[in-house]
Amino acid sequence: MRRTFLLYLTVLLGVVVFSQVCFGQGGPPAGAGRPTPGFDLSGYWTAAIHEDALERGGGPETADYGGFPINEAARLFGLSYNVSRVTLRHHQCDGYVAPYSVRSIGNARAWEERDPHTQRLIAIHWYNQTFEGSRTIWMDGRPHPPPYAPHTWMGFSTGTFVGNALVVQATHIKQGWLRRNGLPESDQATTVEFFVRHGDHLTYTSVITDPVYLTEPVVRTTDFARQPVDHGNWLFACDDGEQIFGRAQDQVPNYLLGQNPFVKEQGEKYKIPMLGYLGGPETMYPEFAAKMRTATDAEGLARTRPAAGAPPTSRAIDPEPHDGDIHVLPLRNNVYLLLGDGGNIVVQVGDEGAFVVDTGTGALAAKTIAAIRKLSDKPIQFVANTGYRPDHTGGNAALRAAGADPSVVGSFFALGFADAGIGATIMAHQNVQNHMYALKMPAAGIPSDTFLDERRRHFHNGDAIEMFQEPSAVTDADSIVQFRRADIIVTGDIFTTTQFPFIDVQNGGSVQGEIKALNDILNRTVYQHESEGGTIVIPGHGYVCDEHEVVEYRDMVAIVRDRVQALIKNGATLEQVKTARPTADYDSRYGATSGPWTTAMFVEAVYNSLKQPPK
Amino acid sequence: MRRNVIDSTLEDAYYRLLEAEEELDQVRTTVYAAPTLTIAILISTATGICAQGRGGGPPQPPRVAAPVDLTGYWVSLVTEDWRYRMMTPPKGDFGSVPLNMDGQKLAQSWDPAKDEAAGNQCKAYGAAGLLRIPGRLHVTWQDDSTLKVEADAGTQTRLFYFGPPQGQGGDWQGISTASWDRSRSPLGFQFFGAPPSAGGSMASVTTKLKPGYLGKNGLPYSANTVVTEYWDRLDVPNGDSLLVVSTEVVDPTYLAQPFWTSTHFKKQNDATGWNPTPCSAR
Repeated sequence: MRRTFLLYLTVLLGVVVFSQVCFGQGGPPAGAGRPTPGFDLSGYWTAAIHEDALERGGGPETADYGGFPINEAARLFGLSYNVSRVTLRHHQCDGYVAPYSVRSIGNARAWEERDPHTQRLIAIHWYNQTFEGSRTIWMDGRPHPPPYAPHTWMGFSTGTFVGNALVVQATHIKQGWLRRNGLPESDQATTVEFFVRHGDHLTYTSVITDPVYLTEPVVRTTDFARQPVDHGNWLFACDDGEQIFGRAQDQVPNYLLGQNPFVKEQGEKYKIPMLGYLGGPETMYPEFAAKMRTATDAEGLARTRPAAGAPPTSRAIDPEPHDGDIHVLPLRNNVYLLLGDGGNIVVQVGDEGAFVVDTGTGALAAKTIAAIRKLSDKPIQFVANTGYRPDHTGGNAALRAAGADPSVVGSFFALGFADAGIGATIMAHQNVQNHMYALKMPAAGIPSDTFLDERRRHFHNGDAIEMFQEPSAVTDADSIVQFRRADIIVTGDIFTTTQFPFIDVQNGGSVQGEIKALNDILNRTVYQHESEGGTIVIPGHGYVCDEHEVVEYRDMVAIVRDRVQALIKNGATLEQVKTARPTADYDSRYGATSGPWTTAMFVEAVYNSLKQPPK
Repeated sequence: MRRNVIDSTLEDAYYRLLEAEEELDQVRTTVYAAPTLTIAILISTATGICAQGRGGGPPQPPRVAAPVDLTGYWVSLVTEDWRYRMMTPPKGDFGSVPLNMDGQKLAQSWDPAKDEAAGNQCKAYGAAGLLRIPGRLHVTWQDDSTLKVEADAGTQTRLFYFGPPQGQGGDWQGISTASWDRSRSPLGFQFFGAPPSAGGSMASVTTKLKPGYLGKNGLPYSANTVVTEYWDRLDVPNGDSLLVVSTEVVDPTYLAQPFWTSTHFKKQNDATGWNPTPCSAR
């Protein structure tokens, strides 16, 4: 009996081993429904700098864009870029976006994260020494976050093994560099990357798709050699400081369109035509080698200025949900973002009742209130408005009513707050009230608790909440709201990720005030690491940001201001300014030719506020 | 009496225990030794059988066994080393190539007219440098065990032999042997779990080269050069397919260290743009 059992056991083991050895060799056919087994990426890796050594080491030449399938916007952005921009405090520690980070020199380290119980692969981590880029590639099948989630240098990455490659797809990447001479990669870029390992030789291939700045995907490959030991060189610390004293905060180093003084430098140095090194999709195909011999200076120079014709419109995806529901995103501590009803709504909850910043259009007010009640069963105590426009105040009346608290009526506190017990108290700058009365908006939604000074403060649910007036940005009635402990700033329409800034000159807005307001936001932010993280910035419309998005937006407004100012100085009329396309490098990100706020309206607002500055 | 009974019982139990231990030892020996021996035999047998192909039949020809389809027309995407590839750089511009002192010295003496006069205008089109020249590749199977890679730049042909190589080498493309490279254990087997990846790439080793250039401006490689390449096909979710060739050039004569590049191409649906041109030394 015992011998029979042993015989069975032996045969069974033999069959198992035979199966593994034999049938394991071929693996399942592609698409068999079984996940492809992975390979081990773990270890220390060092990039072989045998391609593009100058770019990756000392740095690329000015205006060297050859081989990149860029569009006009990217080229003009790059030509406008003055490297002195990195002297600005908020740019000093800018990190690299994921694909450019891998392309950089330095060391990298990869390791696996596995579930301790099932041993399933949860994530692969990739750490780049340069800018301390720490990346997580999720391998557990989780979905990518919604479009309104924050962007980071490394983006949100998910991976699968396909064939002999680890295939990674990344979204939610910050605006950064295709090349660090000013050639941009937008915040709309997505990547597909392939890691293929042949022994100690790792080949990394990135495919970047960017609807804003590329006409077709750009493909690049980078080689890594596996290192047997820890090179012990992992840090790339950065802290910003004063570099240029006395520079006005609204000054952003840039070259006016068509006036980059170094655009010919590379051509003269290497004897190559400008048409080639200024890039474009044709420059990456073999046929362009023949064109290199016949290209003229005139053809190259024509690409240094905006082309005539209608400006392109935004190719960015709309980050806001439009499905008739309110979407809730936890921000930090007890603060949440509510999206879906026009302007962004921020809610702080706690024992003292909800504190709400802005109320959306009001079309989904009932759902907004229901969402808030899921977060807290306490009544809404306060509503703060960042402005008076209806996409931020439309829900005021309904949310105010939702703050009714009969237990408070007639109490001592009723003397302190005008709305106590009746509904939530609506706070805003006095000019919000003035405008809403003038527009004959429903009285129940008009702020009753207003302020005239630059600052209104209130301690609520354990956090110091401050409102700061911006006297001439979108209108004359804007405020930013800061939760000091949660470290969250709500900007209203001073800052959005969806359009050129709305500047209502007729109602007190101005481009100068807009730039000042953006700088006021930046004066209150602190990044966590390499210019990202830290203070959360909630735009009036769009996705969750930090200071990096604000500083890029500030740069844009200041640069467009400079261009329009220069044109005015040369005697240009409004029509001539519009024809000159001073927003050409930003049109594919923020532009519109129809709708409530077009590119032409923005240029006109800049022009008018410069011609007749606010007093 | 009672004590004797107890002693007898203890003694009996002691001997039964000894017997049991002996039996256990036999069991242990059988349990450990028999399967181990059997497994070893099976591994040996299985490895032999499976090396010849599934089912123990005759080995599949490399063309049939290919884990990846590299055939078709492919066009260079010149997004790296653009200045060095789209035009001939000036003499002495070594870029990223790790030439040693001898290599640098030779590169400084580059004279394209001299190459032309000697009939050596194809020096930059040899196996170690061919793929870096912008152009198109046409990849086909010459027969079941020979992959043919034609380049329109310089009208060159490289043959990759999965079987015994033909020819003696000594020309621009040398002799290239090839194999399918799949992830596998150095021991050839694993215990349990998922089988190795279904994917793979073509690995090739090229030797017996006629001395040539790594770059058109006369960056030299010698007849001692060994070129190791991995040919990967990457399918992008947008429908594009990429051919990525990871190359290691080892030349103890003119390179200070192995020279690593990766060159990428995009798949074309047809022969559009295929334009065989003669070599150019300039």
